[in-house]
Amino acid sequence: MSFEPKILGIACNWCTYTGADLAGTTRLQYPQNLRVVRVMCSSRINPSFIFRAFQLGADGVLVGGCHPGDCHYNTGNLYARRRLAVTKKILEFSGLEPGRFRVEWISASEGNKFAEVVTEFTEQIKNLGPQTKFKIEQ
Amino acid sequence: MATSFKQIEEKLKTEAAKLLESGSVSLVLAYGKGYDEKHPMPYVAKCASDVANIVFNEFCTYNMARYLVRYPRGTKIAVAVKAADSRAVIQLIQEEKVKREDLVILGIPVSGMKNPKTGETIDSKTTCGLYNPVLYDVLLGEEVHGQPVVSPYDVLAGYEAMDKDARWAFWQKEFDRCIRCYACRKACPMCYCDPCFIDQTKPKWGDKSPEPAGNLMYHLTRFHHLAGRCIDCGECSRACPVDIPLYLFHKKVAKECEEMFGQAAGMSIEDKPALVNFRVDDSDKILE
Repeated sequence: MSFEPKILGIACNWCTYTGADLAGTTRLQYPQNLRVVRVMCSSRINPSFIFRAFQLGADGVLVGGCHPGDCHYNTGNLYARRRLAVTKKILEFSGLEPGRFRVEWISASEGNKFAEVVTEFTEQIKNLGPQTKFKIEQ
Repeated sequence: MATSFKQIEEKLKTEAAKLLESGSVSLVLAYGKGYDEKHPMPYVAKCASDVANIVFNEFCTYNMARYLVRYPRGTKIAVAVKAADSRAVIQLIQEEKVKREDLVILGIPVSGMKNPKTGETIDSKTTCGLYNPVLYDVLLGEEVHGQPVVSPYDVLAGYEAMDKDARWAFWQKEFDRCIRCYACRKACPMCYCDPCFIDQTKPKWGDKSPEPAGNLMYHLTRFHHLAGRCIDCGECSRACPVDIPLYLFHKKVAKECEEMFGQAAGMSIEDKPALVNFRVDDSDKILE
């Protein structure tokens, strides 16, 4: 059986989640490996969510937020950008494959981009194989 | 020639006595006698007669800025700080945990501090490598002129060049030794959250007993919480009973923050901590 990765998507309510909705209503095809969690803003994301997701068996984590400058709360994603950049560096220095964590800005009107990003990211994670480093043996 | 430790001790005593007698501060955070010469202890002098107990020698490595947050706001405190410790004070002022006007900062220019555990000289391989305090009211001794032995981030080169799997194995080996005594957290001047995220049960981020998953969660999140705030005093690594080189990871995160956000932690009271700040023109490249 081919490897089907589990990918956690954390999407901001105002842009990426709505973008995902648009991708759905326009009936775009994209892989089913993404499990989406909706948060009110990308700056709501506690970096520990990402560490914990990897521990609980996620093969990849995709964070989606509004384009910088478009945040519903004006500055949320600007804080998130700095914070998630640090998260990325920490994951990388701890020894995890850097490609397993990705942040994308997808607006509410970019259903196409959402489908593209998910397809591309799923492909990338498939190539990386199962994530075993953080995963807790159960 | 740098001021000798004995001279600094005398100056520290005089200064502390002066401050306590005049009543301009209610306590002085300095170093006191431990069970032997090699193990001095943090000491709080509360009246002029306590001053005689103050000592200062090459083993006084502790970061006294750690104790500032333990007193109610508005307490007038004099604190003895070495180079990196003064950055911790600045960082605490930036974070509005203490007020500049409540503090009298007794700066100590140092060179040749020694790790009480190993007896090795502490230099820029494990700390920020500064000799003189960045911010002080009184400087106890002459400024030390000198360059750090190596640039403070040089020590990272070998680890950055490592293959990611080798680096993972390296950190696993280190974190697996962790006994979760939380000495790193207790020694850290920037770790003042109550409760610490790892002590929370709702949500429960990780097990509190030593086990690999919880150890990883605790350490990685702690590195994250100290991003852009760690002032590289190296106290966490010296406090660690199982010698985990935590300073390496902190240095790496500090280096990345400096490169990405263009500011080092605790260098100016005008700054804002990097992660509670942003620039509209921050590049998206930092996410790659």
